[in-house]
Amino acid sequence: MKKAILAASLTAAVTGGVAQVSNAADLAFAAYLFDDKFTTILRNGAQAYAEANGHTMIQLDANNDQGRQIDQINNLIANGIDAVIIQAVDSTAVQPMTQALKDAGIPAVFVNRKPVPIEQLDGGPFAYVASNEIESGTLQTFAMCNQLRAEGKSDGARGYLLMGQLTNEAAIQRTRDAEQVMGLDMCNFMELVAPKTTAEWQRTKAQDIMTNWLSTGEPFDFVIANNDEMALGAIQAMKASGISMDSVVVGGVDATDDALAAMKGGDLDVTVFQNAAAQGAGAVDTAAKLIAGEKVSREVYIPFELVSMDNIDQYLDRNK
Amino acid sequence: MSASQHGLGGLKYDPKKRHRPPELNVFFALIFIVLAFEVLGRLIVGDSFLFNTRDRVDTLFNEPRLKIIILQVAIIGIIALGVTQVIISGGIDLSSGSIVGAVAMISTAFAQASVNQYGMENLKPILGEAYLNLPLIVPIVVGLFAGLIAGVINGALIAYAKIPPFIATLGMMLFARGVANWTTKGVPISYLQEDYAKIGAGMTPVFIFIALAVLMHFLLKHTKYGKHTYAIGSNEQAARMSGIEVERLKVLIYAIAGILSAVAAIVMSSKALTGQSGMGLMYELDAIAMAVIGGVSLAGGRGSILGTCIGALIYGVIISGFTFLKLDAFYQEMAKGAIIVGAVVLDQWRARKQAAKS
Repeated sequence: MKKAILAASLTAAVTGGVAQVSNAADLAFAAYLFDDKFTTILRNGAQAYAEANGHTMIQLDANNDQGRQIDQINNLIANGIDAVIIQAVDSTAVQPMTQALKDAGIPAVFVNRKPVPIEQLDGGPFAYVASNEIESGTLQTFAMCNQLRAEGKSDGARGYLLMGQLTNEAAIQRTRDAEQVMGLDMCNFMELVAPKTTAEWQRTKAQDIMTNWLSTGEPFDFVIANNDEMALGAIQAMKASGISMDSVVVGGVDATDDALAAMKGGDLDVTVFQNAAAQGAGAVDTAAKLIAGEKVSREVYIPFELVSMDNIDQYLDRNK
Repeated sequence: MSASQHGLGGLKYDPKKRHRPPELNVFFALIFIVLAFEVLGRLIVGDSFLFNTRDRVDTLFNEPRLKIIILQVAIIGIIALGVTQVIISGGIDLSSGSIVGAVAMISTAFAQASVNQYGMENLKPILGEAYLNLPLIVPIVVGLFAGLIAGVINGALIAYAKIPPFIATLGMMLFARGVANWTTKGVPISYLQEDYAKIGAGMTPVFIFIALAVLMHFLLKHTKYGKHTYAIGSNEQAARMSGIEVERLKVLIYAIAGILSAVAAIVMSSKALTGQSGMGLMYELDAIAMAVIGGVSLAGGRGSILGTCIGALIYGVIISGFTFLKLDAFYQEMAKGAIIVGAVVLDQWRARKQAAKS
């Protein structure tokens, strides 16, 4: 702990001394939980961007406890912070925090987890920075559509759709977007052999469902999965049945390490990368603008990025 | 074959009161469900559930479907074998699914290779460079040992600390899931060795399931261990009076259940080529459901491995049948629920009728 404080003050001294920025700000990053891979990349991305721009930033761990996060925000307000970046524990219960921040006139940027309802951000110096879930399923299915066309299957391609947990917002959105793309003039040659089925985000469930589908013996050309884990499960089932992965277009979402390895090996065709580090940097950037009193739109979106064989090399170590 | 069990618990065996073994009823239910899917298939999707209708394949049955029916329940089936003997002894095991998660993480941590199936180098070994490419026996032994420890703790809490099985195994369920999440802080473990990957490849999980089922059937029907298990499940007081060491037996029962959960974890992580802390989530309830459908009584003292195996098959047939009929996953869950409750209602009704007769 001592070391951390020392290091923090050192970096502050160094960057403050070298950069000589007039708008250097004291920021705080209130994470919902440190023990989470995505959050770790997110907060480290924010930290790196903040330091590179001459700001100081401390990180706080709410340990998935809403009460603790509210206390942390109140402490920050009492200590006179310039702006806070909040990854909410419970995105439906941010009102106590926004109220306190508004009363103190301190800007806040909500990152990654969208406050519900989003309209409550309107009254104060607030903004929301994240990736827009609408993009992931669209990017994925559209890239698969293009690949199928390139393979000369534009006169009819049949396939399957593996859904995430049925109650999950991302699963519903990604599925809806995939269906919408399949409804476009350009891609309506894609059709589902069987109704979309949930494998609850899990690789083993996807393996079994795919094997069940294979037992019907129907020919097919593509498999859309709401996440990479399920795409990998489907791939393992197909390979176990001796199906050549060259003849099937498989798409996932997340760009996990395993998925990138499978793509490198020629099994997975498409996945989508959610840029956590860029979300962190975007949050710091937005916070700085709010402090300076600049006009910022309520929702700032960091684009999802399509990963395919063409650009995979630049993503191989992005998850680390 | 199950006639002998009715002579247990100090009751006099009377051949006149012999009746149809309960497994036969479960088996008829299985046949009925299969036939229902066959008929519905021909009516709704115009295809056969059981038989091969493809021209380019020359077999009588639809072999891929018959295979997946068993394959998809083999892993939970292995857990159900352990859960069956626990329930027969008058207990319950809620921890099996979480033990699967914990053991999957522990075993795969010891099963990492330096390169993956695509020839990419493993840059972040979970336990460090020194633990890469270990002989296959290491992850297996470490995993089974972890399962054994969990089972022994369950058994000791129940037998010696006198905690109700529901509470003791509920505690282990939370604890083991915590261990699973703690091992790598939620990061999945990949880069598994080729040898390890063979354990769950193809139909091997089914062979392991069948071998263990035969072994457990033998243990329960033809050894002192099995007879005593039925005895303490029927009447623990009487069993104790007749000289059975109830405490030691209970620890043994839960230990075996723990080992079987560990086997399931190893097979599962091998089949998926990854260790993930969420593995086995809710499997404890699926395993209990398979046993209950198969005629194992939650009151203890009644049921068999054979019944549980048929219960597992019913599960598999339902999953495949609903996919075959192209029906949504929602219906599948509703049907599973209805069948579990239906099985117990029939069982109770049969038990009451029997009691009235004797």
